[in-house]
Amino acid sequence: MATAEAPATTANAPTTNTGRLARAVSRGPLHVLIIAVCLAWMIPTLGLFVSSFREGSDIATSGWWTALSSPSTLNLENYRQVLFTQGMARSFLNSLIIAVPATLLTILVAALAAYAFSWIEFRGREALFLLVVALLVVPLQLTLIPVLRMYATVGLTGTFTGMWIAHVAYGLPFAVFLLRNFFIALPKDLLESAFLEGASHFTAFWRIVVPLSVPALAALGIFQFLWVWNDLLIALVYLGGSATVAPMTVTISNLVNSFGGAWQLLTAAAFISVTLPLLIFFALQRYFVEGILAGAVKG
Amino acid sequence: MARVLFDHVVKRYGEVRALKDFSLEITDKEFLVLVGPSGCGKSTALRLLAGLEPASEGDILIGERRVNDVPAKDRDIAMVFQSYALYPHMTVAGNIAFGLKLRKLPKDEINRRVKQAAETLGVEQLMERKPGQLSGGQRQRIALARAIVREPAVFLLDEPLSNLDAKLRVNTRAEISKLHKRLGTTFVYVTHDQTEAMTMADRIAVMNAGEIHQVGSPQELYDRPKNVFVAGFIGSPAMNFFKARVDSADGAMDLKGNTFTMRVPRDRAPELQSYIGREMLFGVRPENIHDAQFTPTGINAVPLDVGVEVTELMGNEVFLHVEAGETKLLARVDPRTEAQAGKPTQLAVDLERMHLFDPDSEQALATVGAAAAVA
Amino acid sequence: MAPSSKELSAGRPVSGRPDVSASARPGRRLSVAWLYLAPAGLLLGAFLVYPTISTIVLSFTDPLSGQFVGLKNYTYLFTSQQTLTVFRNNLLWLFLFTSATVTLGLLLAVLTNHVRYEAVAKAVIFVPMAVSFTAAAVIWRFMYIYQPATFAQTGVMNALVTALGGDPVAWITNRNVNNFALITSGIWMWTGFALVVVSAGLKGIPSEIIEAARVDGANERQIFWFIILPMLRSVLLVVSVTLIINSLKVFDLVYVMTFGNYDTDVLANRMFKEMFTFGNFGRASAVAVVLLAAILPLALFNLRRFRREQ
Repeated sequence: MATAEAPATTANAPTTNTGRLARAVSRGPLHVLIIAVCLAWMIPTLGLFVSSFREGSDIATSGWWTALSSPSTLNLENYRQVLFTQGMARSFLNSLIIAVPATLLTILVAALAAYAFSWIEFRGREALFLLVVALLVVPLQLTLIPVLRMYATVGLTGTFTGMWIAHVAYGLPFAVFLLRNFFIALPKDLLESAFLEGASHFTAFWRIVVPLSVPALAALGIFQFLWVWNDLLIALVYLGGSATVAPMTVTISNLVNSFGGAWQLLTAAAFISVTLPLLIFFALQRYFVEGILAGAVKG
Repeated sequence: MARVLFDHVVKRYGEVRALKDFSLEITDKEFLVLVGPSGCGKSTALRLLAGLEPASEGDILIGERRVNDVPAKDRDIAMVFQSYALYPHMTVAGNIAFGLKLRKLPKDEINRRVKQAAETLGVEQLMERKPGQLSGGQRQRIALARAIVREPAVFLLDEPLSNLDAKLRVNTRAEISKLHKRLGTTFVYVTHDQTEAMTMADRIAVMNAGEIHQVGSPQELYDRPKNVFVAGFIGSPAMNFFKARVDSADGAMDLKGNTFTMRVPRDRAPELQSYIGREMLFGVRPENIHDAQFTPTGINAVPLDVGVEVTELMGNEVFLHVEAGETKLLARVDPRTEAQAGKPTQLAVDLERMHLFDPDSEQALATVGAAAAVA
Repeated sequence: MAPSSKELSAGRPVSGRPDVSASARPGRRLSVAWLYLAPAGLLLGAFLVYPTISTIVLSFTDPLSGQFVGLKNYTYLFTSQQTLTVFRNNLLWLFLFTSATVTLGLLLAVLTNHVRYEAVAKAVIFVPMAVSFTAAAVIWRFMYIYQPATFAQTGVMNALVTALGGDPVAWITNRNVNNFALITSGIWMWTGFALVVVSAGLKGIPSEIIEAARVDGANERQIFWFIILPMLRSVLLVVSVTLIINSLKVFDLVYVMTFGNYDTDVLANRMFKEMFTFGNFGRASAVAVVLLAAILPLALFNLRRFRREQ
């Protein structure tokens, strides 16, 4: 039990749990090292960002860092082009259209299943959940051909509906795993007293489990949203090459293929595609990290 | 084997002062207990001594050496943590030997010392096990073994018994006392349990809110507490406190409460001279209040009529929770008592052993056997 | 379905899970359960279970005729020079990517633990996890731009190289370095993940144990090697397994950066090519099955670990 009188001695101390007398790594080099690493990590994205404001001819002849000293050369021309002539605006919309319903549906379906795995008793529950855990690592590639064929026969290829269903299905193992672990840790007494008063599973689910699980649902939502938003493979396979329904990832990869050298467009396009994830990340970092920590096994 | 000195030590955490002008000398080979309620600063003092945290002001000496700037590992101390802090991934043997291996002692020396420590604490059978497989009591012994194997100058123990169940605590108390006698090294022991302090210490330092209230042997603290806090902290069940006016009547002194009057025994009357007419704070321990019918011989006790609220049968004695008007008291009486809850009874209060306190400053003005032994 | 009276009186939940008492449970449990499981079950069955089996079967057929051809696809795979390169690359990813990312994550976790701006530093390193692999591929292709030596370098990497006095390198096309270049971008993306997970594990080590080690006489380096590292074993294992699985499945990065050309091809990309560029579903399936086979031991490992924790 941590002593009450010494606030800095618990493992949750704001500074460090390895003690404030740690002097073996002297402070100077430590700071230099960490800051250097952080800078190194930011440079790639920074380069993208700065270049997206430069003329194509500039990009081809000088490094982006030179633009920092002459900010007057920067403009929004690339963004205009990429959004309106190369269809990024449309792609942004498509990404949104694909990601939002997919995320919401995944949460719903996974929550129902996770509830069953936690609070409904039935034969084979453990075995079935083990199957879910096993499915966590199945590579998508394994399923592409049969599903594509299935889609072809049913006419789901190139449709948003097809994308939604696919993303929900592929996101389920992790989602169910995450939520089930959370649900099962909820206080048993709460649900027991509800059942004693005659509540059905449905009531228990909607009125007790779900409200109490908002943090986990939020974490899952963010994680799933980013996963779908950033996906390329599933879009390529099930959506095909049609520009009208392509999400941003597909559009960008097409741009790379066709405009390999037109970096002014590529950088702008890429940056547009990361603005939303970055925003979400910075605003809701905590939930994202929780999602990672809770799962840590998403294949 | 060394003495320890805290010289006007202050420890600040931001605005809060966990230790205020803390000065204490611990003699070589002494078993000193720092005792006090949660948050009083006792663990802080121990951690400062260990070198786990730096002092804000003041000096800390081990032996003749000022150790403020000396890192923990070079202070020649060993510590037993409240949670034992055993290394979960090492075997018991590994745990005990770790410190020695770090100091690069020769292998035979390490084995010898580890074996000896293990035997001293009776854990030779557990050497190959991991801490996770052991009970609380066993883990505690390993923690102790790990400490003694280093043969340090000072042992620090931070509430080592609080995680044990009651019965084990009583046994382990004795073991630790025996260990101290056997090793002859300075022990600095921190606890919130006054029973542990009373039974194990050579001297006790009672602390509250970052300050030492009193340092002395257990008997000293029991007989002559310097203030209300110490008086109420030491001794279980706690001392009874009540207010009464000092009256002078027919050349004798009376304590006049709302519903009672008690005559002060002649040898203690002079102490109250200066307080006639004033309302003072008095302390009498439960063990000094008897059932009037079964007062031990030789005790000159003053009768007191009370109403009994609760009786607690302890087997060898009975606790009576009584009231005399608004004054509530706890008396430890002979088990043959006929007192019953809800019925009045007569108690005999041994005022020879009463304590007198100033009601405002709470300082002791007169204690058992000594008048005004207060600074 | 109802637990026997013996099980009830034994007081333990039937399946060993924390569960509500039998008398408190709503009725018709079995049908209720299936109601909740149906949507997920259907989707998982249709998209994961059935296709897996189907693909395995498909891998034994000839693409054109649909006939069963036994191991023909596999023999082709294992004898083709291209596939051997693919295996080599995946192995490269597996070892290099995983070890570098874990080591970097571990180092950074320990280092940032000592500074006050720890949260900021961790956020900066973690950001790449939010961007898509596609965007990351663009970012890094941009980093690796090659200009002939007489021209000014526009890619960061070559700018560094020339600033240090060397000749610019064609990171993407040069077969000696391109795999490492790709792996580097992977490391950039995933170190944040390793950092966050290891950091959480690090904070889970009780401070009293570190203090005990300090009193025992350990310096910082010894504390790291003898206390912290062993206690982080399971965390490091989880991170490593996740990274290994990802290294086997890597697709987007390679697809966008090189499309697998210049000897950088990996299993997932190969499969994609067989499927869409060559239309050879049989072989594509075979590649997918090989991928599954590689991942299987890890899946089993995860399962075992999961069961042990229950």
